[in-house]
Amino acid sequence: MGNAVIRFDQVSKRYEGGHEALSQLTFEVAKGEMAFVTGHSGAGKSTLLKLLALIERPSHGHISLDGQSLAKIGQSGIPKLRRNLGMVFQDHRLLMDRTVFANVELPLVIGGIAPLERGRRVRAALEKVGLLDYERQLPASLSTGEQQRVGIARAIVVKPTVLIADEPTGNLDPQLAVEIMGLFAEFQQIGTTVLIASHDLPLIKRIKKRVIVLDHGRLVADVSAEEVL
Amino acid sequence: MSTPNEAQTAARTERSQRRPVSSWREHHGWSAANSLRRLASKPVGSLLTIAVMGLALALPLAFYLLLSNVQSLGDALGRNQVINVFLKTDQVASNAQLLAKKIEQHDGVANVTVKSPQEGLDELSKMQGFSDSLHALDNNPLPYVLLVQPQDGVSADTANQLVDDLRNEQGVDVVQDSGTWRQRLDALLGVGNRAVLILAGLFALAVLLVVGNTVRVDITSRADEIGVLKLIGASRAFVRRPYLYAGIWYGLFSGVLAVALAIAIEFALADPVARLSQVYEGKLHVGGLPPWLLLAVPVAAAVLGWLGARLVSAWQLRRAA
Repeated sequence: MGNAVIRFDQVSKRYEGGHEALSQLTFEVAKGEMAFVTGHSGAGKSTLLKLLALIERPSHGHISLDGQSLAKIGQSGIPKLRRNLGMVFQDHRLLMDRTVFANVELPLVIGGIAPLERGRRVRAALEKVGLLDYERQLPASLSTGEQQRVGIARAIVVKPTVLIADEPTGNLDPQLAVEIMGLFAEFQQIGTTVLIASHDLPLIKRIKKRVIVLDHGRLVADVSAEEVL
Repeated sequence: MSTPNEAQTAARTERSQRRPVSSWREHHGWSAANSLRRLASKPVGSLLTIAVMGLALALPLAFYLLLSNVQSLGDALGRNQVINVFLKTDQVASNAQLLAKKIEQHDGVANVTVKSPQEGLDELSKMQGFSDSLHALDNNPLPYVLLVQPQDGVSADTANQLVDDLRNEQGVDVVQDSGTWRQRLDALLGVGNRAVLILAGLFALAVLLVVGNTVRVDITSRADEIGVLKLIGASRAFVRRPYLYAGIWYGLFSGVLAVALAIAIEFALADPVARLSQVYEGKLHVGGLPPWLLLAVPVAAAVLGWLGARLVSAWQLRRAA
């Protein structure tokens, strides 16, 4: 695959204590593609995403993101990598003492974007996830689904080339889960590469995108969108 | 709507075109405002911390104020210092006048007054209990006395030299110097000044520790927030900056409080000091803290706060990482 944005090449991850979370994992995700990583609990889904965000380093193998080898990124380069990577978490990871606007604005503040531009982009992101009217509210006053939308707005506000999500629908009811997945599909349509870790097989089948299946850290299936259909 | 590639290219171009200086300024502005907002979000805790630090800084200031005023009092009393030169009883008026003129030429002497034996006797007779005794005397036993007034601000060494010179003058019987107390006071003031410096150092250390501990607790309670910031790309400096500003705010506000307390002490002392000044015919000029110190204390306290926050945040954030 020539235009791969995410590339794993023989990647293994062994934690201290000997547990091997990933083993000889090799796959690629093309630019503008949306893919699910699925598997049972402990299959290695979250570890895979942690390696992409450099929360963890691989024990063996090579990972590249948007053409850049992650092995060459030192500790001081990690913030820059993360600033260009949209991340969505199951538990939203919102700052509960700040407004919705302030939460979504945060990556832009970190990125050094000018205040006027920040305001414009935050409102555009909130509009995209349908929360423009909630910008002055605190996250605690929102439903779980709305909080997840705020988390997604925060991830897309930096216009990332790659969006990764770890069980983004884990705490949502089925209807809300479909809506959230629909949002990710929209971002894929405008060219963002999306990689989602999820164990919700019925939902994955419904979305009809490529599925990478892990079991005990090994790649056991890589099903294309057409095959899912 | 732009195509995906155009949008992402525009985002990259925008990132590359950011001016580092304005970005740096915005980061600092954001961190400063953010840390102030945090302080305001827990007003009781913040005010208590600032009050403790303010009191700690006010104590050396109060001592400094006290000492400088005692010094001023000493100066005022020193101006009233008179050296009494008792001539031998065989000295006559012409000898006394000649000696007075000679002494007036001496360095550090403001003026010399000659008091005759008769004037001395008249003074004594006005004192209660002496009147009857003096009538019993056949003749006036008092000598001529020269009242030597040193110049204002004369040093203790010059005054001592003057006393020694007077003792060596021909016809002089006894020299009484009331300046010894001044030397003792100066020595005590020296001890006091040193004690103030030591106290200031200790209380500065206390401020450093209070800020450090407050920031440590703040970082511990915000571990989740720090984790989120790091996940979305915040650098270590960005994460740490609000805590450094918190240290600066704590220091600055406590410094202002300390100055306010010192000024309040000045006001509280104003009336009794004014009365004391009247006793010394207005010669006692009791001053407050110098303006440079009023400005320096909040600035120095802010620097201390920053330093305390910097030392602890570097260590605590490493632990959090």
